[in-house]
Amino acid sequence: MPPDDIFRICNMMAMAGWLALLASPFAPKLADRVAALAIPVLLAIAYTGLVLAFWSGTEGGFDTLPNVMRLFTQPEIALAGWIHYLAFDLLIGAWEVRTARAERIPFLAVVPCLALTFLFGPAGYLAFTALRAARIAIPTNPQGVGVAQ
Amino acid sequence: MTTDVLMAQPHFRTSSFTTELFRRHPLFAGAALCLMVLMAPTLVAMALDQRTFLDINVWIKPFKFQVALAIYLATLAWFAGWLPARVAASRLHRIFSMIVVVAIGAETAWTLGAAALGVASHFNNSSPLAIALYASMGVLALVLTSAAPVYGIVILRHRDSRLDPVFRLSVGIGLIATFVLTAAVAGYMSGTGSHFVGGNHSDAGGLAPMGWARDGGDLRVAHFFATHAMHFIPVFGFIASRALPASSGKRAVYAFAALFVGLVGYTFAEALSGRAFPAMLY
Repeated sequence: MPPDDIFRICNMMAMAGWLALLASPFAPKLADRVAALAIPVLLAIAYTGLVLAFWSGTEGGFDTLPNVMRLFTQPEIALAGWIHYLAFDLLIGAWEVRTARAERIPFLAVVPCLALTFLFGPAGYLAFTALRAARIAIPTNPQGVGVAQ
Repeated sequence: MTTDVLMAQPHFRTSSFTTELFRRHPLFAGAALCLMVLMAPTLVAMALDQRTFLDINVWIKPFKFQVALAIYLATLAWFAGWLPARVAASRLHRIFSMIVVVAIGAETAWTLGAAALGVASHFNNSSPLAIALYASMGVLALVLTSAAPVYGIVILRHRDSRLDPVFRLSVGIGLIATFVLTAAVAGYMSGTGSHFVGGNHSDAGGLAPMGWARDGGDLRVAHFFATHAMHFIPVFGFIASRALPASSGKRAVYAFAALFVGLVGYTFAEALSGRAFPAMLY
């Protein structure tokens, strides 16, 4: 199978995972199984297979920036790197949804973090962490005690 | 008479095969599961990688090793349920099991690594490192196979076992035969330069699904039967324990074991004389 086809299939799988996360308020358990387990496992299998098959034939390494860039000149390794993003970004997205549910953060507040995580992984993680920090700094007070003081 | 042939205790009859496997030997069952998970990326690599070794895809060999070692571990985990409880729970047994799993892990990594590099694992004399690796993997292979006779002897000596005596005999003999026959066949094989005798020394066009040579002798045939004594003989023993009274059942197990050793000897001699298996086809 040519790398372009694997690229397309993996992109579609990741997209399905993100859609499951968006639908998670309606089916939290199913969304978690799809986005935090099934799809990341499939992506991980594809990634591991690519690395097994093509790593030994690559030039470059992890030690210097030019070496990392040289690694990504080989299509199969660049593809593996891309699948790495897809899998781990999705896992972080699923973790954000789970954490928000456990901490009673409204889902609508999480959606922008999900969008950021989907597009720019670590930026979304940063946004979600900021959201949690804000929630801790401003404690909810269901009784309203002390609010007026 | 034939109670408890497959289950050590009646109340485990309700649990599934996997649950039972993990209850009997969590480490071996877990290691078998890890190998099964590893098969998925190995198959992906096989589908994507065009490189070949001896004219077949480089990933076929590590995949075959994963299948074989997973079956071996799962079988040992199942048989571990018939060890005396105090042996199974002993520290020595736990340490021994860990050594076996480490040896299996090393063999798996070695075959995967050789495939990734597109070089030979066995029979690789191309560099001092390759020779050292091949030699140490031979030692580790002996270590991992030693679990079979250790289990075999302990199960044979476990007189108050609830296992049917005919079946217990077949399990013990099968496990011991696996070690003795495998050590003999594989030991001889490693001393020669190749498992092929005559023929084109190519894996292409081999006998499916194992890939044994069809244009000459292949010592892997004898290795296969030798190693699976621990399956063939207990399967016969299971049937004999159901069909025959204990005394004749035991005699039947001894007779079958002798025949099986003969089969291994026959396939070994057949390969040595450069003939493909099974000879009547060629």
